[in-house]
Amino acid sequence: MTQNLPQAQREASYQVMVESVRDYAIFMLDANGMVQTWNQGAERIKGYAPAEIIGQHMSRFYPPEDRKAGRPERLLRKAVEEGRVEDEGWRLRKDGSRFWADVVITALRNDDGSLRGFVKVTRDLSERRIAEERLRLSEERFRLMVESVKDYAIFMLDPDGKVATWNAGAERIHGFSPAEILGKHLSTFYEPEGVAAGYPKRELEVATRDGRFEDEGWRLRKDGSRFWASVVLTALYDPRGELLGFAKVTRDLTLRREAEDERIRLAQAEEAIRLRDDFLAVASHELKTPLTSLQLQIDTLSAGDERLGPKSKLRIERATRSVKRLVALVEALLDVSRISTGQLRLSFERIDLGQLAGEVVERLGYAAESAEAKVSLRVQPGVVGSWDRLRIDQVLSNLLTNAFKYAAGTEVRVDVRAAGDRAVVVVADRGPGVSEEAKQRVFERFERATSKRHYGGLGLGLYVAREIVEQHGGQIAVDDNPGGGARFTVTLPLASSPDAQAEHP
Amino acid sequence: MSPRIMVVEDDDLIRDSLVEVLEDQGYEVLSASNGRQAFELLQTAPLPALILLDLMMPVLDGRGFRELQQGDPRLAGIPVVVLTAYREIDTEGMSAAAMLRKPVALKTLLETVRRYCAAA
Repeated sequence: MTQNLPQAQREASYQVMVESVRDYAIFMLDANGMVQTWNQGAERIKGYAPAEIIGQHMSRFYPPEDRKAGRPERLLRKAVEEGRVEDEGWRLRKDGSRFWADVVITALRNDDGSLRGFVKVTRDLSERRIAEERLRLSEERFRLMVESVKDYAIFMLDPDGKVATWNAGAERIHGFSPAEILGKHLSTFYEPEGVAAGYPKRELEVATRDGRFEDEGWRLRKDGSRFWASVVLTALYDPRGELLGFAKVTRDLTLRREAEDERIRLAQAEEAIRLRDDFLAVASHELKTPLTSLQLQIDTLSAGDERLGPKSKLRIERATRSVKRLVALVEALLDVSRISTGQLRLSFERIDLGQLAGEVVERLGYAAESAEAKVSLRVQPGVVGSWDRLRIDQVLSNLLTNAFKYAAGTEVRVDVRAAGDRAVVVVADRGPGVSEEAKQRVFERFERATSKRHYGGLGLGLYVAREIVEQHGGQIAVDDNPGGGARFTVTLPLASSPDAQAEHP
Repeated sequence: MSPRIMVVEDDDLIRDSLVEVLEDQGYEVLSASNGRQAFELLQTAPLPALILLDLMMPVLDGRGFRELQQGDPRLAGIPVVVLTAYREIDTEGMSAAAMLRKPVALKTLLETVRRYCAAA
């Protein structure tokens, strides 16, 4: 458009245009380097008004060290020699502050070739520089941050899957130092079977295809040990869509994985216990059905046909005792399943403990006789409380049976008394006693103080006794009987428990 | 006339044993193998003085039978003795005259039966 204008007009337009440019300082120097023109951009960037600077030498734009080094003159000389010179460096504003300038100086010649002067175009790069500096700093910070992360392995792979960067977390988790691993392939982290199955290759393929690959699985450390890794691989592309490589973030979840495994194992164990308890409940119930008719039949026999001879009577007597034993065993199994399923329920009633102890001792008279044990009972009268009659009967029976079993042929003393707000029952024998080590576990399930086979039984009596006593809010303990033997002490609260009151308002 | 007792029990061995020991004692015994059969039998048969009732039975269990019985004015007054293998089974609300646990000793059984039949 300007081409069609007359020369003078064209120059005038250029002048207007140049003067109005604000982003560039555009001005002319004479052949000696004196400022001759000054546009708006020059005023804005350098801070001088035209009147202040026109006629001044261009060297004043340079910092003292550059002036001393003769840089302004060198640039002008170079522009003369080469027609044009480009420079980047610090320049001074009027107020003495510095800015980073991009400078182009072009030599202007007259028609005869003599030097007429220079055009100088200066751009203030400070803002760009600051932005670049910021970017550089931020990249540096980011790099430092990534490098210092210890909980995650964060590293890059090149497009072929070779390790390109390596942070502290990667070193910690994988065990390789940067020098050992840079340039090595991703498959280094896989177990040989995984490599054979093509997992590393697939990982890269999926990430390339979908932009991302996520996985949890066992990976190898440098020392060959395994760890449970959570892995995210992200494909990185440049703005043109070219694959730059992959960013890989790996976490070591071995502890979590182990906790999870442990939880599963525990759940399986609990399930096994539940199944066993269910089985115990069903099995003992099923056993009870034939036992019921067996007991009725045997009771009918022993109820006495007068025509039976003494031998038959003895046999029926033995059968009766066997049935009783069987019934007791089935009950014990059922009790274990009740206890472990929390179904041991008590029904409370007023009980005279001394009287109950007397009944139990009398009922077990036969067992005492066959164990050749001499039972003596000492009762403080009036020890009355609210307990489950059948269950307390069971506790006393179990303690006595236990004494007969382990302290056969000795004296067994049963003591019933009150002590403060508690009822106390002591069953003491003169047998071999219970060792310190066994005291800890005689009340556990399926435990016996001794493993000798000839004692027989399921090892449930004391366990069931403890559960019953504790459910009553009481305690059971074993210690040494002064003068030898074992001494079991049961304490029960005399006052009704809140539960008991609820059942018997 | 000897007192009449009804035995409701699904297990043949137990039922036969109960019937036999009770008959030996001179009782007249009616038997049924589940609650439904028992209830139907009671519609036509002469009424018993006592019912021995198992709880876990097919078709109609002890609790179901007891509900039918209590809903029938003609039968509601007959005392019921519950026979069960489970201590846990809640017999409250069944207003049973007594509860016997399996396996039951003959002596206990006969004492209980005598108590309610003497009263009848």
